[in-house]
Amino acid sequence: MRKYWEMMKSQIKIDTTYSAWYWAGTVSMLLKMLLVYAFWHAVYENRASVNDMPLHAMITYVVLAMLLNNYVAGVGVQLAGQVRDGSVAIELMRPYNLLDKLVALDLGTKITGTIREGLPLLLIAYLFIGIDAPATWTALPLSIASAAMGVLIGTQLDLVLGVAAFWLHYIWGLHTLRSAFLLFFTGALAPVSMFPDWLRTASGFMPFQSMVYVPAAIYTGQLAGGDALTAILVQAGWLVFIYAAIRFSWKLAIRKVVIFGG
Amino acid sequence: MISVNGLSKHYRIASREPGLTGAVKGLFSREYTIKRAVDDISFRIEQGEMVGYIGANGAGKSTTIKMLCGILTPSSGEVTVNGLVPYRDRKRNASQIGAVFGQRSQLFWDIAVRESYELLKHIYEIPEREFKETIAMFAEVLQLEPLMGMAARQLSLGQKMRCELAAAFLHNPSIVYLDEPTIGLDVAVKARIREFIKEMNRLRETTVILTTHDMQDIEEICKRILIIDEGKVLYDGSIQSIKDRFGHKRVVHFELEAEGGFAFELPEPLIGLAESAVGEEGRVSLTFSNQAVTAADVISAMMQSYRVRDLTIADPTIESIVQELYERGI
Repeated sequence: MRKYWEMMKSQIKIDTTYSAWYWAGTVSMLLKMLLVYAFWHAVYENRASVNDMPLHAMITYVVLAMLLNNYVAGVGVQLAGQVRDGSVAIELMRPYNLLDKLVALDLGTKITGTIREGLPLLLIAYLFIGIDAPATWTALPLSIASAAMGVLIGTQLDLVLGVAAFWLHYIWGLHTLRSAFLLFFTGALAPVSMFPDWLRTASGFMPFQSMVYVPAAIYTGQLAGGDALTAILVQAGWLVFIYAAIRFSWKLAIRKVVIFGG
Repeated sequence: MISVNGLSKHYRIASREPGLTGAVKGLFSREYTIKRAVDDISFRIEQGEMVGYIGANGAGKSTTIKMLCGILTPSSGEVTVNGLVPYRDRKRNASQIGAVFGQRSQLFWDIAVRESYELLKHIYEIPEREFKETIAMFAEVLQLEPLMGMAARQLSLGQKMRCELAAAFLHNPSIVYLDEPTIGLDVAVKARIREFIKEMNRLRETTVILTTHDMQDIEEICKRILIIDEGKVLYDGSIQSIKDRFGHKRVVHFELEAEGGFAFELPEPLIGLAESAVGEEGRVSLTFSNQAVTAADVISAMMQSYRVRDLTIADPTIESIVQELYERGI
């Protein structure tokens, strides 16, 4: 366990190496928020609510969604690259589980990301944009738990890309498809509750909404009481399932491993 | 101790027909050809041996090393490293081996070398005291002290290779695989690296398996060589005995005084004993077996017949022997 902890710390060191790059992340995040703010204001120009959501609730949702959307990507592309250029060979010669290492690095990056983008965004959103407080006093801890689960799901799910590279050798297509899928089905663009019925049902059968929609909707109160608890249980189910599936296919991949190049 | 028995690795390579039609066909059905990268090889390496593993590009060296490291599963045959089957016990095997791949870095690109070592300490679970002692010694032998605070990306090739080497030996592995550790380095750095490897072997009885195209490396470090070609072991034995078997061929290069036209003829005593190759501007190379005639005799015979401006005696190198092996077989 200790070694993975140290890896996470080293990743944080790496992320903070380039300070210009570090603050550029903060600035671009704030710009994005302004854009989203202006966009939804324009949408609400001539009406009080869209789909039963008043403007302030929508802004709250969208800001949170933007925040959470930062955590959906992971290190799958990095793993895929290592498989492709053969440097995974060196990784496999080390006495650790590469998947666990990648998860540690990913969490390290996400911690830096939280400090660099997440917290400034929240602070500014509270101070200047005026997003709502949590819907109820239980909504805050529930949404934090749900968000943590969402982050872990995102980290694991992203590894699918990397493991797929063992079979596909080239995953650019899959990567593009994934990005489109994620943007839409996580609820990062708009709340899943605004989807047409059939799409909402379809989305319910996929793990993507666990990453953004569920925690944000718990916070805003769109998912409350029993629904919220069920949603969190479903998240936990997905996490266990994806974790197990990835480990299993990783074992298969290693068994048939062919190292390219070199 | 490494034991390899009837080890083979076959790759399936998709072969495509040329052109656009071929490319489209390839999307639906593919034909495969089998490449035998490693074909039924066997050898044993004892603890503390330093073995040169050589062969032309694509001979199967890397494939063998990868199977020894457990990152490639053999198609057939047995391999054990210190009693472990590497591909089944990859992680346990990994903690007792070290490796340097000349073209791939294992240091972290963006953080200081010292931090990379700190991380390796945790990864290999090296006790703090042992780690400190090792680092202190490596820093002295490889002169790492000034490099410790720099990030890997700031190092020159020679500096980086010294750091890589220290990283490979840091956790006191029982076996170290070195793949082209001196590629592209200047003579001084090469010498230091060879010295370090020999020192490690002496102090810790580390088994070293060295693949390289630099014959100087092999001659200075290894006592035993394994030559592999087209996936098969071509030679396995001491450097001395291969030199004795193949190295009796000697070459002397002469530069002769040659004003005006001149036609070279082999001096009478050497006829039938030496072969000549005539180059430009009075250069002549004589090839002979040192069992039939000594170099001294060849030179004195030449001096009597021609005015010799300069001469060099070429040493039999492993390189020339290996080349001969590749070309003629054993």
